[in-house]
Amino acid sequence: MRTRINILGESGSGLSSVGSIVASALKTMGYFLQTNRENESLIKGGFGKVSINFGSKIIRSVSREADIMVVIDKPSLQEYASSLKDGGICLHGYERPAGFKAFMQEFEARGIKVCKLKARTISFSHGGNEQMVNMVLIGMLWKTLGFEYHWIEDQIKKRFASKPKLLAIDLLCLKDGYDGVESQLEIELPEDTSKKIMVEGNQALALGAVHAGVRCYFAYPMSPASSVLLHMSRLAKKFNLVIKQGEDEITVANMTLGAMHAGTRAFAATSGGGYDLMTETVSLAGIIECPLVLAIAQRPGPGTGLPTWTCQGDLNLAIHSSHGEFARIVIGASDVTDCFDLIQDAFNLAEIYQVPVIFLTEKVIAESHQAVLPFEQNKIKIERGLVEGKDLENLASTDRFKITEDGVSKRWIPGSSKTYYFANGDEHLEDGRLTEQAEPAGAMYAKRVRKLETIRKALPEPKTYGVEKDADISFIGWGSSRNVMLDVIEILKDQVKINYLHYEYLFPLKPKAAEAFFETNKNVHLLEGNYLGQFGTMIENATKQDFSDKLLKWDGRPFFLEDVLEYIKSNT
Amino acid sequence: MTLPTTNGSELSQKADQYMAYETEEVITWCGGCGNFAIQNALRRALVLEGFAPDEVLMCFDIGCSGNGSDKIEGYTIHGLHGRVLPLAAGAVIANPKMKVIASAGDGATLNEGVNHLIHAIRSDYPILFLHHDNQNFALTTGQASCTTPQGCKANSAPDGAPEESINPLSLVLSQDPSFVARTISSDTDHMTEIFRKALHHKGFAFIEILQTCPTYNKHMTDPWLLEQAKEVRELPDYDAQDIWAARKIVEIAEPIHTGILYHNRDRKNFLEVMKHRDEVQTTPVEEVRPYDLSDVLEAL
Repeated sequence: MRTRINILGESGSGLSSVGSIVASALKTMGYFLQTNRENESLIKGGFGKVSINFGSKIIRSVSREADIMVVIDKPSLQEYASSLKDGGICLHGYERPAGFKAFMQEFEARGIKVCKLKARTISFSHGGNEQMVNMVLIGMLWKTLGFEYHWIEDQIKKRFASKPKLLAIDLLCLKDGYDGVESQLEIELPEDTSKKIMVEGNQALALGAVHAGVRCYFAYPMSPASSVLLHMSRLAKKFNLVIKQGEDEITVANMTLGAMHAGTRAFAATSGGGYDLMTETVSLAGIIECPLVLAIAQRPGPGTGLPTWTCQGDLNLAIHSSHGEFARIVIGASDVTDCFDLIQDAFNLAEIYQVPVIFLTEKVIAESHQAVLPFEQNKIKIERGLVEGKDLENLASTDRFKITEDGVSKRWIPGSSKTYYFANGDEHLEDGRLTEQAEPAGAMYAKRVRKLETIRKALPEPKTYGVEKDADISFIGWGSSRNVMLDVIEILKDQVKINYLHYEYLFPLKPKAAEAFFETNKNVHLLEGNYLGQFGTMIENATKQDFSDKLLKWDGRPFFLEDVLEYIKSNT
Repeated sequence: MTLPTTNGSELSQKADQYMAYETEEVITWCGGCGNFAIQNALRRALVLEGFAPDEVLMCFDIGCSGNGSDKIEGYTIHGLHGRVLPLAAGAVIANPKMKVIASAGDGATLNEGVNHLIHAIRSDYPILFLHHDNQNFALTTGQASCTTPQGCKANSAPDGAPEESINPLSLVLSQDPSFVARTISSDTDHMTEIFRKALHHKGFAFIEILQTCPTYNKHMTDPWLLEQAKEVRELPDYDAQDIWAARKIVEIAEPIHTGILYHNRDRKNFLEVMKHRDEVQTTPVEEVRPYDLSDVLEAL
């Protein structure tokens, strides 16, 4: 069972803080949870919502609908009033009914219970301010949920410990909110109260990168990737990281490549538009066979598009960007644990095969908090594929780009051997010397592209979830599609036989698993967060099979549980 | 300030080391191209200052200067047009124990990648930067660049370049750089002297090399450059630590003042302003290993 809270408020209203305080308290109690923040690209104003879905088993996606709605301001209510379920609970602190009446009438008609306190009056009576109205609301929410006071009190104390004067007022507001309403719900307490961590995807990405030995992070801010920079900066002191905010994304890509060429592990994350600027550098990495790992936190384009919203629209970009033909790897993460694990794998693959790796996340992964079991460290060993030790003394310059069957040649760090080489962006011979002669130029070109088949063989197979056979309906997807899919399989496990084939390694594509999936299952659908069904097209081309139908979404919102539940209902 | 002088016998004693940098490749520059002398001077400077080929990473931009990337023996990287500075910056940040040298022409430095130049000065990366200024895009057959003097005919401007040109040193000096010098490709000894000194600068050393291009630049010839060049050491009271003296002198079109025009030894370079790495003795290249996150995870 999951409990679903929607907190509504405009940008600058303290919406994120309210969400974060409540989520942290739930996490501390031992709940699993998943949040989703929706906001317009504004510092102040607009409409916004933080969804928190929590329960005693892992939660990966959020529902559009909520059981409880906390209303900080009216513009957001306008946008989201319909998301509160019939018979749900609405909490607010409004004292003047102007513009509110119509909603309250609607709520009454829908059997929604409205609880209100004069939140502003309470806050001001304690010497508080407008923002502290939120403390009253948090207190109200916590009591409504039926939880003991100390969990939320501890959270507020911890968060505002450095401001004792304000903390005292915060606590008075919180208590009045808590005492002012009745407990309404009996929510099952978490079965497993072991330690959970609560992180957003960007944070998990930063942690995974540091664990994998990344020493330099280069960045140019762009939503929704910006907070990778924040998290790396916060880790910089403890781990002696080099953090550099470059003058543009072209710089960032080149600095990352330069640092990787020099022999460290360096990383950069951006979004689609920023990645556009990096693509020439990706091509350079292709010809000099230098490892390069770049992350794209996807948001809807084209152009500036919807900067603070989510999508899976940049798969084609990741696969087809950059001039020329060369091998690369594209990986798609689904959740925070994926971000932590797969980024480590990305660095290993980039170094072993000496290719660019494009690591895709989505806004809904990058900036949503998830409470999960702590990440497992030392699961993925660092593999660099470098020539080291005594072997460095027995190298020839021509070893560096030696034409090999699998396309992979020896790589060693500049300066680590007396044997040097030229990393030449022009077509070259085995030691990097320029050539424009047909035979050697063609052979070197083919060697690089041959790596695609080597990599395709080496990449892990996609994973199947749900029933093994006789599925009523089947899905194929990647990225955040897995989150909603796994939750739906769990929710419908006694009603509908569902299975789902999930690709983490998107390119080069391993089509065999999909071919087999189409053979076993007769009602196969695509679940993908874009208009064209980019991955679906790849699958159809590779397997010569057609999907029965496609569930696609491109409006900036993630797949909500309801989207998939309704789709399954009408397709089984 | 005194400059080291190129000592012929010193160099001949190090003939073997010099030959280690010599290529067997067929050189593809035009006869009389300034690149021959520039690379010759660089080899000399590296040898005289004791840098072996495996201690240096030479980074090249695109164009005629970039075509030198496999004409000098050592670790080289030949990158993208206009982007050699961030490429070199990434490399030197990762491995400050290697001497990183970047070369780029005027098109790369001041047309395509001028933003990188501004920020390289600001960040004071420990890079020796050789600005090959031949006042045109030569490898693409002689289009005007932003340093082509106004009115000069070019492939892309048959009636003469219509716009005002950029004065590279005026621009560089406006950004409070730490090391600025000018030399000419017609004088190998002078280039060698400047490079030797610049190799020891701990920050971003910007070397403006006025480079002959006999194929496309008919006005900046060897005799003209040699006649115009005037070493600032020959000026009474020139103070290379006075940025205003430097800013003033680079506004003078004729004669062309050469030598070390400005040097600020006190400026902290990029590595020095990263306070949290003050105590770190290793380089990022040496630090790649799994890092234990237990404390961090516990706090989440």
